[in-house]
Amino acid sequence: MHGYANPARFLRIARWLTPALLAGGGVLAAAALAWGLLRVPPDRLMGETVRILFIHVPAAWLALAGWSTIALASIAELVWRHPLAGIAARAAAVPGAGFTAICLASGSIWARPTWGTWWVWDGRLTSFLILLFLYLGYIALADAAQRNGGQGGGRVAAIFGIVGAINIPIINRSVVWWNSLHQPASITMGKSSIDGAFLWPLLAAALGFSLLFGGIVLARMRTLLADIQTEARLRRRAFESDVPGLAA
Amino acid sequence: MTDRARLKPKHQRLVLVAIALGALIGAALLAAWGLRNQASYFYVPSDIAAHPPEAGRAVRLGGMVERGSIKTAADGVTIDFIVGDGKARVPVRYRGIVPSLFVEGSGVVADGAIEPDGTFRAETLLAKHDEKYVPRELKDMTAAQARAAVAQTR
Amino acid sequence: MREALNQWNFVIAAYVIGVGGTTAMALWSWLAMCRAEARRAKSREL
Repeated sequence: MHGYANPARFLRIARWLTPALLAGGGVLAAAALAWGLLRVPPDRLMGETVRILFIHVPAAWLALAGWSTIALASIAELVWRHPLAGIAARAAAVPGAGFTAICLASGSIWARPTWGTWWVWDGRLTSFLILLFLYLGYIALADAAQRNGGQGGGRVAAIFGIVGAINIPIINRSVVWWNSLHQPASITMGKSSIDGAFLWPLLAAALGFSLLFGGIVLARMRTLLADIQTEARLRRRAFESDVPGLAA
Repeated sequence: MTDRARLKPKHQRLVLVAIALGALIGAALLAAWGLRNQASYFYVPSDIAAHPPEAGRAVRLGGMVERGSIKTAADGVTIDFIVGDGKARVPVRYRGIVPSLFVEGSGVVADGAIEPDGTFRAETLLAKHDEKYVPRELKDMTAAQARAAVAQTR
Repeated sequence: MREALNQWNFVIAAYVIGVGGTTAMALWSWLAMCRAEARRAKSREL
């Protein structure tokens, strides 16, 4: 495991994997969405608006996957002091927040023609809005920690990432525990109540968006890593020029 | 530094994180259990039957629109229907535009209040979708035909 | 009376937000990465 913690080895893989994931995910997601937009039949009740499924559901899955990444990487950072774990956690925050916002916006657009309202404060919608605020708080915290350059700040962000993960099972169970306007899960442990005509483009779109998500996380990791290395080098140079004896 | 001494703080941190996670999950489950009634978005007909709210108090009612129960009044905008949950039923009257997904045998959530005569007067009406997604072409088949068609596509 | 909305308007709006948002995120993170790695390369040359 620690073999991949070596930044040089990570960069050797990430250098070709980042554009590969972004290009592959982009093509697959575009194809799946075109399929969903042009070839999929309308739903018996919802009609054409069922096509929003292919945006809304992958975004929701990735919003949850994003915080799971933050939580797991934060545990690895705290327990094993894995050098790349903290960077991975911070890299997942921006795409996670982005997909959370896409999920909320597309869900709201879907709710108006189906339920008859843009927004309700039921358990599922409220807990998902809280997820967006958790992401924004985490991003602010992790940014402040990096600007201070101290180790302690990063640890605070990691603890916040782990504590915030408690919202993930709450989001998942919200439609079971409480009466809600949002319907219960359609896909559970190998069973699906989505017809094949909708299921296959949904899975293709989810895979495409997941590859894009992975590519964005890798690009963010490379950005954070490069920033840290640049800063360390500049700081070392400033120190050497302050102490002329060391420069030789 | 020996290998043993190097591993020790790592295990210490692992135990610490595990304990913290356990406490966190326990606290969250407790909170969710405490919220189990307050966090519900609506009451179902059996809740209304068990604890009838006083007339005029704002409540939110959710349930299934009973098949064959929707009746449009002579004015064309007032509708009467019955919301049930399998155990109890509540008659509902609503005046206004209904969402396009408001159909018999489907879910509905209504804001309003109970009238003295026991009818629920709804101010707003929201349609609740179920977790099934079925193409329009399959709708007119019998249930058995649809199941067979769905099984084929798997 | 039943509500009759043009469903395609909602579908298009959702696709614009989903596709636009994802594209913006991918492009922004790629460009930020190129800038950061160029800065690192420059700091090595100095």
